[in-house]
This record gives sequence, C-alpha cells and structure tokens, in this order.
Amino acid sequence: MDVVVVGLSHHSSPVTVREKFALGEARIPAVLQLLRDSGIADEAVILSTCNRVEIYAATSLEPRQACAEIQNFLVRIHDYRDPITDELYKHTGQDAVEHLFKVASGLDSMVLGETEILGQLKKAYDLALQHQHTGGRLNKAFQRAFNVAKHIRTDTNIQRGSISVASVAVELAEKIFDSLNQRRVMVIGAGETSEKAARALLSRGAQSVIVSNRSHERAVTLAAELGGRAVPFDEWAREFAEIDIIISSTSAPHYVLDRARLEPLMKLRKNRALLLIDIAVPRDIEPEINFMEDVYLYNIDDLQAIAANYLRQRQDEIARCEAIIRDKAQGLLAAGRRTPMGNDTKPAYGHE
Amino acid sequence: MSGFSDRTYFVCAVFVYGVSAAYSIFLLRRDLRQDTRLNYILLLTAFAFHTIAMVLRGYSLDRCPIHNLYEATKFAAWTMSAICLVIGLWPRLRFLGAFAAPLLFAIGVFALLTPADMGSPEHPEFRGGWLTLHVAMFALAYGAFGLSAAAGLMYLTQERDLKMHKVRAFLSFLPPMQRLEVVLRSLLLAGFVLLTGALIVSAIFMHQQGRPLTADFKIMWSFFVWALYLGLLLMRWKLWRGGRRFAWGSVAVFAFVLLTFWGSSLLSPIHRP
Repeated sequence: MDVVVVGLSHHSSPVTVREKFALGEARIPAVLQLLRDSGIADEAVILSTCNRVEIYAATSLEPRQACAEIQNFLVRIHDYRDPITDELYKHTGQDAVEHLFKVASGLDSMVLGETEILGQLKKAYDLALQHQHTGGRLNKAFQRAFNVAKHIRTDTNIQRGSISVASVAVELAEKIFDSLNQRRVMVIGAGETSEKAARALLSRGAQSVIVSNRSHERAVTLAAELGGRAVPFDEWAREFAEIDIIISSTSAPHYVLDRARLEPLMKLRKNRALLLIDIAVPRDIEPEINFMEDVYLYNIDDLQAIAANYLRQRQDEIARCEAIIRDKAQGLLAAGRRTPMGNDTKPAYGHE
Repeated sequence: MSGFSDRTYFVCAVFVYGVSAAYSIFLLRRDLRQDTRLNYILLLTAFAFHTIAMVLRGYSLDRCPIHNLYEATKFAAWTMSAICLVIGLWPRLRFLGAFAAPLLFAIGVFALLTPADMGSPEHPEFRGGWLTLHVAMFALAYGAFGLSAAAGLMYLTQERDLKMHKVRAFLSFLPPMQRLEVVLRSLLLAGFVLLTGALIVSAIFMHQQGRPLTADFKIMWSFFVWALYLGLLLMRWKLWRGGRRFAWGSVAVFAFVLLTFWGSSLLSPIHRP
C-alpha cells in the first residue's frame, strides 16, 4: 500500500483557483467517505486551509493511477470546469512522505517556518481519525510528521526570529522593556500593519491600546476591536505621559511628531523609555528623534531589514531541514517495509 | 589539600579568568549570539581555584585573608566572581560574566604583579576584628561596583545596538534594557551601602585611635569615591530617568577607582603596602 498526495497550494495556483477547491470542515467527512467508497483510497486525510487543499491517501492502486483518480475526484466534487495544467501537484512514495513532513514543519508554507500549519494539519488528521478514515499507514505517516516537525523546530533555526513587521515590532519592544504587561500602546493612524502590530503587542501582554485617527469613527471601530479606547486626532499628545509604545501609520504628508514637539513631552513622562514605530510612507516621525536619549525610533525599512535578515537565516536552514526530512522519510518507509501495517487507529501524535 | 601554595592556585584562577576574558572577546565578535554556558563553566572553574587559594591562605595565616592590599584585591575579585555566578543562574543575565571576565582578569593580574603581598600591615594597632570587617566591607563594595560597571557596559552595548538599528541587538542573548538597568542600579546601591558601612567602621576605628580622618589620604580618597557614587545615585533619582548617563557614570567612576586605587594607597601612611 502506497501513500500519495494530490493537492494545490500557493506555490502551484493563485487564490482564484484555490478558492474553487476549498473544502469547509463540515463537508470533509462526507468527502472522505466518498473517496474511500470509490475504491481509490483505503485511508485518507484532507487538509484544507487558505493556502492549500491536499488529499493524503493510502491506496492499493498503482500510485500514478491513484493520483490521476484523486485528481479527477477533486475536479468532479468541485465541479471544476477549467482545464487543469500545473495547478495540481501529485507526489507518491517517498516524495509524498517528504511533502507531508515539509508541510508539517512549515517548510512549504508561504511564511517559511510558520507553526500555524502544524495545528491545521493536526486538526485535519483528527477529523479523519474521528471518522475512522485513517489506518496503519497514514497513522504512522502523520505520527512521524508531527515528530519531525517538533524535531525541526527544536534542533534547527528554521523558526527563529520574527519575519513579519508586526512580530519584529514585538521583539523590539521585548528588547527594551522588561515585560510588556504594564505597557501602554498608542496607534496613530489606523492602518492594517499598525493594527497587526498592536494586536501582536496585546497578545504578548501589553496592558492597553489607545487609537487616534483623522477619521474618528475609524479610530472608534478599531479601538473597539482591540479592546482599547479612541482619542480625537488633535488630542493624542495629551495621552503621551502614559504611553510606552507608539505605532504611527498616518497618511500625513509631513511629520506628525518632530523633535521640537517630543522634547517637552518626554519631560512630562519623566524620560521613561519610549519606543516609536513609524510604518508610514512618507514617514510620520522626524528621524532626528532617534538621537534623543531613551527614545528608540524604527521606521518601516528598519523593521523590514530585520525581518529580511531573519528570513535569510531561515533560508540558510532549509538544506539542513530537508536532509533531516529525507532521512526521516527513508526511515519511515524502511520501517513500513519491515512491519506490515495493521488497522491501527490510535491517535498519532503524543507518542512515537 | 596538596603541595601547591595558595598563590599557585590564585595564578591558576587568574589564568582561567584570562581564558574566560579571551572567550568573551570571541563572544563579542560573534555578536553575543553564542551560548554563554562555556563561559559560565570557565568562571566556575576559576572561582573554584580562587576559593581554594583563599581557604589555603586563611588556614595558613589562621585569620580571614584580607589584611593587606593583595589579599583585599583578591577578596574583591572573589566577591565579583561569586556574584557573577549567582546572577548567571538566570540564563538571560549570564552575559554579565562575559563582561566581567576581562575585569576579573585585570584585577587578578594587578594583584599578582604588584608587590602588595607583604603580609600584614606594620601597624599592630590595626589588627583584629575591626580591620577584618573594614577590609571585607570595602572589598565587597568594590566587587559590587565592579559588577555594576560590567552591567553598565552591557547596557551601553545594547543601547547603542538598538539605537543604530543593528541586527545584533535582536540576535544577541543580552537581556532587555530595563532589566539591565535594574541590575546596574541594584549592584550600585548595594556597593554604596557597603562602602558607607566600611567608611563608618573606618571613622569609628580612627576615632578610637585618636587620629583625625583627614590625616590619611586614602581615607579622603575613599570619601571622595563615596561622594561620586552618592552623586551618581542622586542624579539617577532626581534627574536621569533613563539609564544611559547612569551606565556611563558607573563605568567612569569605577574606571577612576581602578586607575587611582594603587596610587592612593601609596600616598597613605596607613594603607601603604
């Protein structure tokens, strides 16, 4: 019995195609049943996220034939009528197992090394397991995939550092402040990136958020979403004494904050450390401010440069991760050849 | 314990402090990203040699081995090393050892190279428990000041890296600025309290001997150092909320102490080795 995978991801197809193949969680058990009833797969797991739709199957058919039939199955159940060229990929044997390990480890993700996919994969596997669509072959493969992901996370630097502007902002705050628990954040200009950065800071324990925007309604809406409060745009400086972190992203054509304005404000806040994150283009904060004591100013280029550096480090780790994956996949397949697979439907993760 | 003298063990300790100092330079060149466990082990080894040297000397003289400049310097370095190892139990603060190692090495070399190991002072009236307490408190105070200077250097390194947007600020294992500032302030405050205590002991002792405090240059120098540290703490409390000037101050005052300590002892009839 071979393991095969057929699917499409952000690597192979645009969102306009992926959305047509997406499967809601509620529909997946019925689709799995249909797939097994059709005789193509003896065991199957469906992974459907915003970036990929994949069917992992253990099949008694000849692998290439199984892949072709799964592709037809996918096209049929989605009533997809456009011609298929390279949108769908197919892997068999060791390639399929290696692909599963790469997906679990975040090596195939849009954000290299991200961990969210591992949770999604566990959920997809759980769903198939609950409905008894997995057996000895896929249980072993997924069990090993979760272990390989853990091994890669702990033994390589593939997940080290922050590779998004929002997470770099959080890391920066953690390099300055002992703890984010008592920190107050102010968002000036309610842009998407500043919202993400504020959310990331809140998720790490920041105490509260104040939002100020030229459109006060937008500020009120965002403040409500973030569990903070809104202040009128011309009054944000009044709140300054209590603020530790400012994220600015207005569309103002001039500086919103310059040195002449900040100096008296710093005295008000007794020169406690202040982190300024300027993600606006053109910039909102005068660069000269970075020369002031106890003030740390980072603009979008600074944050992106740090994120890019981390990404380069992660990319340098890819070869190491792939070698681990190759080794583990070979080990799994060799073990499979030695031991015939039974109908083991025990949960795959949590034990090896 | 063995046939080696306490001085041999101290030489071994200084040698290992030297290795640790060299390794610390390597850590700095690696953007402070390397794990500091090896450095911690080196400091622990040096501390073991250092402790054996102190114990052997104490047993051989049948007293606390802090009765002359060599012994006091050695004790100050031992205190610094011990505090470093305790602080290093927290992994995020372990880099203090890397910044303190060069200082420990320098103090060790200073103790070994100067002709300071002359046995006890020539003044019989300056023997006994008062002297032990006086020297122990001074040595502990300067140990704490030395480590506060090391913490100050860590603070300035991290602050500069963050200001200059260096990637090293993110990659290094240095603790956050605020935590470093707390460590720096606590060590400096502890040193100041000890120095105050040591000066009070000195004043009582001199009073009992019927000697004026102003008669000895070293005592006046010590009061000057005390005033410098008091000024630093007051400035931090009243004027500087941020840590940069405070960190510079701790480094500068301790550098002054290091540079003038020997000279001030030479100018003192009581403390001259």
